[in-house]
Amino acid sequence: MKNVILSARNVCKTFSQGGVDTEILKSVSADIYEGDFTVIMGASGAGKSTLLYSLSGMDSISNGEVLFDGEKISGLSEKKQAKLRSEHFGFVFQQTHLVSNLTLFENVAVAGYVGKNRSVNSVREKALKLLRQMNVDNAKDRLPSQVSGGEAQRAAIARAMINSPRLIFADEPTGALNKSNSAEVMRLLSELNRNGQSILMVTHDVRAALCGNRVLYMEDGKILDELNLPPYSDGEEKKREQQVNKWLSVLRW
Amino acid sequence: MEILTLLSANLRRHKGSLIGIFLLMLIAAGALGTVLSVWTNSGAYVQSEMEQAGFGELTAWVSGVPDISELSADIEVVPEVERVETQPLIFSNYKANGGESDSEGQLITYVPNENRYKFFADDLSGYREQPGNIPSGEVYVSPSMMTMLDVKIGDEIIFPIARSGRNLTLTVKGFFEDPFVGSSMIGMKGFLIGEADRASALEILKNAGIDALARDGAMLHISSESGLTVSELNGVINEKTALAQYAEFVHGKDAILGFMVILQNAFCGLMSAFAAVLLIVAAAVIGHSIDGTINSETVNMGILKTVGFDSRRLRTVQLLMYLFPIVIGSAAGIILSVPIGTFTANATITTTGIKIPTALPVGLTALFFAAVIILTGLFVILRTRKIIKISPMSSIRGETEKVRFSPEKTPCAFGFGMNFRLALRQLISGKRRYIGALATAMLLSFFASLIGRMDGWLGKDGKGMMDAFNPADHDLGVQIFGSLTAEETEKTVLEFSEITDSYWLAMPSAAVNGVDFTINVIDEPQRFHILEGRSCISENEVVLTEFVADNFGVSVGDTVTVSGGKGNGEYTVSGIYSCANDMGDNIGMSRAGWLKIGNDDPRLWCKHYFLADPSQKAAITEALTTAYGGDVHVHENTWPGLFGIISAMRMLIIVMYALTAVFILIVTTVTSGRIISAEQKDLGIYKAIGFRTDRLRAAFALRFGITAFAGSAVGMLLAAVLTDPLVSAVMRLAGISNFSSAPSVGSVPLPIGAVTVLFVVFAYFASEKIRRTDLTVLISE
Repeated sequence: MKNVILSARNVCKTFSQGGVDTEILKSVSADIYEGDFTVIMGASGAGKSTLLYSLSGMDSISNGEVLFDGEKISGLSEKKQAKLRSEHFGFVFQQTHLVSNLTLFENVAVAGYVGKNRSVNSVREKALKLLRQMNVDNAKDRLPSQVSGGEAQRAAIARAMINSPRLIFADEPTGALNKSNSAEVMRLLSELNRNGQSILMVTHDVRAALCGNRVLYMEDGKILDELNLPPYSDGEEKKREQQVNKWLSVLRW
Repeated sequence: MEILTLLSANLRRHKGSLIGIFLLMLIAAGALGTVLSVWTNSGAYVQSEMEQAGFGELTAWVSGVPDISELSADIEVVPEVERVETQPLIFSNYKANGGESDSEGQLITYVPNENRYKFFADDLSGYREQPGNIPSGEVYVSPSMMTMLDVKIGDEIIFPIARSGRNLTLTVKGFFEDPFVGSSMIGMKGFLIGEADRASALEILKNAGIDALARDGAMLHISSESGLTVSELNGVINEKTALAQYAEFVHGKDAILGFMVILQNAFCGLMSAFAAVLLIVAAAVIGHSIDGTINSETVNMGILKTVGFDSRRLRTVQLLMYLFPIVIGSAAGIILSVPIGTFTANATITTTGIKIPTALPVGLTALFFAAVIILTGLFVILRTRKIIKISPMSSIRGETEKVRFSPEKTPCAFGFGMNFRLALRQLISGKRRYIGALATAMLLSFFASLIGRMDGWLGKDGKGMMDAFNPADHDLGVQIFGSLTAEETEKTVLEFSEITDSYWLAMPSAAVNGVDFTINVIDEPQRFHILEGRSCISENEVVLTEFVADNFGVSVGDTVTVSGGKGNGEYTVSGIYSCANDMGDNIGMSRAGWLKIGNDDPRLWCKHYFLADPSQKAAITEALTTAYGGDVHVHENTWPGLFGIISAMRMLIIVMYALTAVFILIVTTVTSGRIISAEQKDLGIYKAIGFRTDRLRAAFALRFGITAFAGSAVGMLLAAVLTDPLVSAVMRLAGISNFSSAPSVGSVPLPIGAVTVLFVVFAYFASEKIRRTDLTVLISE
């Protein structure tokens, strides 16, 4: 029996612009399980990124509630949200969103040090270990503008991991990368998941989605269906791809 | 048309920064306009009033003249002299409200219908009609007497005409505008009295004999169109008439003007320097704002270039956009300077003694206005050069300003004291964004430190200024009359404090190379404040101020001829000394040297004391005055005008810090807005990884704190290097040649601390916008 780590209960999100209300999320309910690599797929405008950010607390919701470990986190104060993000969540964005004037090492270490009672040395060691694990330790003293997109994204994953988060939110992590860098990033995320890391990822790339063990399909602000896959292992890509494509074709993807 | 459309859109989009620039220009132009108004009007007004009062190119104050009409006629026949006007007066000390002046007053006989003077309304709000005559027992005084001795209408002023209490006591009936000695900067004061009181005073003098304390005299206003300098004219008249024999002192028109407007000129000098600092700060903020606008509008400008706009038109839009607040702000500031000037004029009547007109000098103001607009316009044109480099492709690619710094050469941003480390990193990597704040902190601290150094030199009780005006130091001066002896008065002094040292000083008049000067005579000449060479130890030596030396073109080792009551003598200049009395027009010599050419009148001499306990000065003064009345004249090391200078300095410091605070508020608000807009993404990232808003705000304020501290430190160093040469140059205009400043609380920690704290506090308030930074800025969808 898997533990539910994050739950959406009738989450609605409405944008108002020029007096016109647009409903992006329409009473979405879903559970995200600990240890899963959950993927949210859907066409552009389906509301998948909005759902991701609504679940993570980075964006507000119009109605419903979001629970983390059974505790309501939607509507928390800024201070409690900051603590939640700092201690339990990690983020990987489509654009790497590294602080432009910090080196890769500093980007990772600063996130590991802020608001916590950790020693400088322990944070430094952990940051260096993660950068080595992500294979970017040779570029650790460079600025984001001085490294490739793949290196920057791998540093961003290291940053997301520095606080040993319960859940990593990844929004199109390969969206701005070329094929080889995309494969490397997905390989790292899969490896993290194999080691027990819970991941919730948004993508419209089928190849990226293959790394997940649970795929949610969204359309027009609702979750239409979900597909459960066996845990990912190397050499099974073709078989998984056929299975996912078949499922998606049924959903008219 | 398209330019107007873009201009309108830009004005709306950047209204925050433009309002800030408008306010900066408003304050800077307001300060500049006020300075121009006060400076131009006070000088021109005093000059016109001097002419109205009859002052010529030269005015001689004489006493003991057997026949004033004969002397006047003798002078009038000198070919270089055009006209001589005589105003009878009586020289006398004066007391009011328990206070006593250390300089003599001049009881000027009022002649109805001469229209020499203007009379103030009782509340000083304007002028009233001249009185038909001044009845016996009444006197009109300068409004500066209010500042000097707290004199009000109805108060009594006592003029000791002769010993044994033979005083002339007059009641203040009102105030008049005295263009010669009306300012509180001058201890000597003019009093308008009626014919009857003059007759009474002369009657007392006639019967007083050796007991006389006052002297009968006159002002001789000498007009000339010969083109000679004042010294040359004085020399010619002294050569051909007996003027030198009777002259108490002689002043040219410019010197009199200098006495009267010394405070206004000092105020204008400092305020114009401050206005210049404000304009430079405004330029720095405009420069920063332009850079920020171009950076944030790069994409839009690139797109506009793709649809046919060229750089020239885009720069024109920027020029018009910035000229809008600059022109409106400058114009509004100049208009605002009229009420500020009026307020200043009204508020300073009791200090300056005159009601300074407040009409704007149109030509000069227009010139400065045009100069400010042209210079700032050129500055904007220069700073918008970057627009030329913007290409359509760069905007399509979404190219933004690159971070340019070497991380390996800067302290790591991670570790203990991370707020400071992150603030430092932001500063180093985005240094151009903080140049405006740095320049502002540097310039404002420089000026604040300069004023602090001047204030430190002036001292809490004005000792610095007094030392500049005194030929030698002392705590207390006691002048005795009649049969009273120094030994007797010293007994009273010793009841309060030990006397650590003493010397005798006299200040008679004599002609040097034919020109009348005050002579500082000391029985211990080694006490003179020597700047160059040595003191006049020998009886054949004199010391000159640098102004007198320049006037005669002489230096140490040269000789001058000094003519006193007994005869002439050749004296070698042994040194240059400092003494700002009579705007520096004085010389010094030893008692032995003086006695070769001058009379040894006991009434000339004043004994100067150094006290073991200088805090007893006031008590000693009161005890001596009570014990010996008119037989003794006591003066502390101060003069009534000093209070005006100290008050003006304190007021200037308050105004300066208030304007500094307003400027820092505007600069911080404008700069912060730009920086926070440019850093939206980074701020979002910091929030996403767990930074709280208050921590980000603290780090943001810290950046300004570091910038302000660095800028202030540079400003303070600049002040340390530049204050003495800059201020000395200005002080020389007032005859002060010994200005030398030293670090003090007001010149080092206060400017640095105040500027840094103001930047930090205002930056923290301005960073409220960080709270509104939404994490959705990171969402790419």
